[in-house]
Amino acid sequence: MARQALGLLQGTVDVLILKTLSWQPLHGYGISEFIRQETNGDLAVEDAALYQALHRLERKGLVESEWGVSDANRRARIYSITPDGRKQLRSEVIEMRRYMSALFRVLEPA
Amino acid sequence: MPPTFRFPFRSRSRIASEVDEELELHLAMVAAHLRAEGWSPPDAEAEARRRFGDLDFTRAYCRDEDFRREKEKSRMIVVDELRNDVLYALRGLRASPGFALIALATLAFGIGANTAIFSVVRGVLLAPLPFTTPDRVVRVWESNKTLGIAQGTFSEPDFLDVRAESRLASTIGGYFFADGRSGVDLKDGGTPEHLSAALVTPGFFETLKPHPLLGRTLTTEEGTPGRNHSVVIGYGLWKRRFGGDVHVVGRSVTLDGEPFTIVGVLPQEFTYPASQSLDVWMPLSFFGPDAIGRGRASHFVSVIARLNPGVTTAQFQTELAALASRLSSGYPENAGWDAARVTTIRESIVGEVRGPLLVLVAAVALVLLITCVNIASLLLARATARQRELAVRAALGAGRGRIVRQLLTESLIVALLGGMLGALLGYAAVRALVAAGGVQLPRGSELHVDGLVLLCAFAISLISGLLFGAMPAIRAAGPALERKLRTDTRGSVGSGAQAQRLRGALVVSQVALAVVLVVGAGLATKSFARLLSVDPGFHPEHVLVERLSIPEESSDSVRGPAYYASVLDAVRAVPGVEAAGSVRDLPTRGVGEMRRAAQLGLPLANGAADASVQLHHISTDYFKAMGTRLESGRDFQATDRHGAPIVLIVNEELAKRYWPGEGAAGKVLHVGNTDLQIVGVVQNIHQNGLSEPVEPTIYIHALQNLRGAMSIVVRTKGDPMRLANAVRHAIWSVNRNQSLMEVTTMENVLGSAVARQKLLAWLLGIFGVLGLLLGAIGIYGLLSFAVTQRRQEIGVRAALGAPASSVMRMILGQGMALAFGGVIIGTIAASLLTKQLQAQLFGIRPGDPVTFAEVIAVLLGTAMLASWSPARRALAIDPVTAMRQD
Repeated sequence: MARQALGLLQGTVDVLILKTLSWQPLHGYGISEFIRQETNGDLAVEDAALYQALHRLERKGLVESEWGVSDANRRARIYSITPDGRKQLRSEVIEMRRYMSALFRVLEPA
Repeated sequence: MPPTFRFPFRSRSRIASEVDEELELHLAMVAAHLRAEGWSPPDAEAEARRRFGDLDFTRAYCRDEDFRREKEKSRMIVVDELRNDVLYALRGLRASPGFALIALATLAFGIGANTAIFSVVRGVLLAPLPFTTPDRVVRVWESNKTLGIAQGTFSEPDFLDVRAESRLASTIGGYFFADGRSGVDLKDGGTPEHLSAALVTPGFFETLKPHPLLGRTLTTEEGTPGRNHSVVIGYGLWKRRFGGDVHVVGRSVTLDGEPFTIVGVLPQEFTYPASQSLDVWMPLSFFGPDAIGRGRASHFVSVIARLNPGVTTAQFQTELAALASRLSSGYPENAGWDAARVTTIRESIVGEVRGPLLVLVAAVALVLLITCVNIASLLLARATARQRELAVRAALGAGRGRIVRQLLTESLIVALLGGMLGALLGYAAVRALVAAGGVQLPRGSELHVDGLVLLCAFAISLISGLLFGAMPAIRAAGPALERKLRTDTRGSVGSGAQAQRLRGALVVSQVALAVVLVVGAGLATKSFARLLSVDPGFHPEHVLVERLSIPEESSDSVRGPAYYASVLDAVRAVPGVEAAGSVRDLPTRGVGEMRRAAQLGLPLANGAADASVQLHHISTDYFKAMGTRLESGRDFQATDRHGAPIVLIVNEELAKRYWPGEGAAGKVLHVGNTDLQIVGVVQNIHQNGLSEPVEPTIYIHALQNLRGAMSIVVRTKGDPMRLANAVRHAIWSVNRNQSLMEVTTMENVLGSAVARQKLLAWLLGIFGVLGLLLGAIGIYGLLSFAVTQRRQEIGVRAALGAPASSVMRMILGQGMALAFGGVIIGTIAASLLTKQLQAQLFGIRPGDPVTFAEVIAVLLGTAMLASWSPARRALAIDPVTAMRQD
């Protein structure tokens, strides 16, 4: 926990959530933990931003939620990705890859 | 089918508590994690909150997002349900095409007919007149009780006296206009054209106050001789001849050989005194006394006036009557012209057609009533038939509101589709009416389906859909539904019987309305047939008509007759012409010149009253070309020319009236110091129209007393129009510049004279057939339905050995009982309502018992036919299957 986690580029939270949910349905805390573990703590999603994004995505119909039971046997809101969400994820990834490679062609010319 | 099942929407507070719960769980989990890392519980909680970020904002943000989503979802579901309802309704309609078709056709015809008739009524009777404050404008007539003239024109001196002395009118104007006969020749290098013209006095435009499109109207000075070469042109002429040029004011045109300056253009809707369109308005003073007689005996000025504010037509009429009575005792020529008549200008324009139009309105309203009854009956039957289906739906959890909405959607769709079809139909009908032209309605050219009429049509269809859809829908969705599901299907128990009774009442009223309509149709058609069977006094088949007016330069007493004769000779030389003659006023197109019997020296001693006598100017062979029988004596000959002793031919009516039993041929009339010998008697020609009595008539040879206008009538072999061009060229071989006013056939002339009666007969006929059809559909629908509902009962009866004839009798009896009820009510209503038709009928009384008997027979016959097929179906019911059903 020594290293400072990186702040996130705008729009990245949405993609990370969608990607996370594409593996399995999770509640908010689970999503946040999953991202932290996958990136070895390099990327940290602020909790406030995470929940705002989840509810925004749900309104857009990219994720849906239902009330289930958490590991600790508590009532929890479990999110899962919708078919529209998967479609959105695919196109966002393509878009982001183009963006990054263009960026790095400038930052680190070969 | 998309799911119709859904969870109830989440409320605002529910959303809020769910968001709170979610966020609290998160914080608890983070805190638990921190405690596991060794944080003390209070610190762990504080740290969790710190790491979370802006908690309050996030809470509000999430709640808002959730709420918005909930709203969108509910909206989508409503749209979805609506779509479902519409699809469901459409599927339901497709599943019973008979119902859909009948309902749509019923609505389309009902609404179409109403749209058309109300467009006409609105255009003709209700649309504002193109005058300033038209309510103050009146039409004025001089009356002569002795001659039996209630609405006579004024002589010019009478007109001038009245204008000078009236105190109650702010302006009084006069005009001379005879449809198709008053006109001037336009020559501007192009094709010579005969323009329709109104000759107006000063005061004419001041009375009507139209708003000119360009320029101005005629001034008072322009009415005085010497300064009267100004003209106002109509919209049609402006477009046709001047291409709508905005600089036309100030231009010069040659009318009847004289130069005129155009001072103004009137708008399209101003055509007064013509009914459809008028080319020019020019000063009456332009026509000198040799063209139009100006003595007190020469009545030709039509008079209009603008009343002072507050003055009523009755007051003005009293004032004018006093003036007329003074004139009548002051001048011998005015004897008898001692009264006056005043009506509003609107009344004078549309009064004649108001009666027939109101009859049509009444008829079409009846059609609409039947339409509504039919729709109500259809929807009611449908709802009854679907009660089981609806009960099942209700049992499966469809809400009551939902069921009502579905039924309403269906009736609204039917109503809207029907309304659209009806609007199209009405639009087409108005187009057809205008195109027919023969309608001859005043202001007919302005007719169109306007927005308001269409809106009304839609409103009617919507309201009928809602009303008649709601009634069965609410009934169907009522608490009786579950009972229905549990008990019913055994015959006409419970609400089924109630619905049948209601439908029975509807059918009775339908039949009653149909009776009224069919009686009206029968009377109008018979009246029209009787009109057509009147012998007009000539044979219109194979007769070509070309109308022209003899040009000014050829109209003096020397050149005129020569010109007249050479035109006729040229026409007679055309191959295929059997006979050709001419008359100034064609039958049904004018009453010639009016004289009083006493003026003409007709013997009044025999007990015959003084009466007006028509004077017609004709050529030789006129009767031959028309196919009019010469009863005695001889026709005019070439030797009866200018200078030779003046001879006359009279009609049978005159001969019978003044020399009863003696014969008129050979008698001599003394007029002034001239002796006029009657040389022949001809068959009566219905000059005033087929429905009008024949007046005593004298024919004078035009070559002995020339008039400027002539209608050449040509009897041809075969189709007369095929000779039209040859005849025209024959006329032009005499004078290349001769303008022709009209080329038509005598059959057309006669046809247009009865066009209005024909239209009335046709429309009432169509409405009658519609009424009959809808009535038949009503009876048929009710009985078919009853048979279906009573299958089991009928089956049981058959199984118990009831003979087929008794089953048949039962069904037929049910149908005929309804029909009888309707016929009785309808006959009473018809006998009261058709009295209003009186004025429109010729040769038949409104209460004509034969017509009533026929209509009753036709309706009962139709009812029998409509009952027949359901009765047959009842017979075909197999008792075993019928009882086993359900």
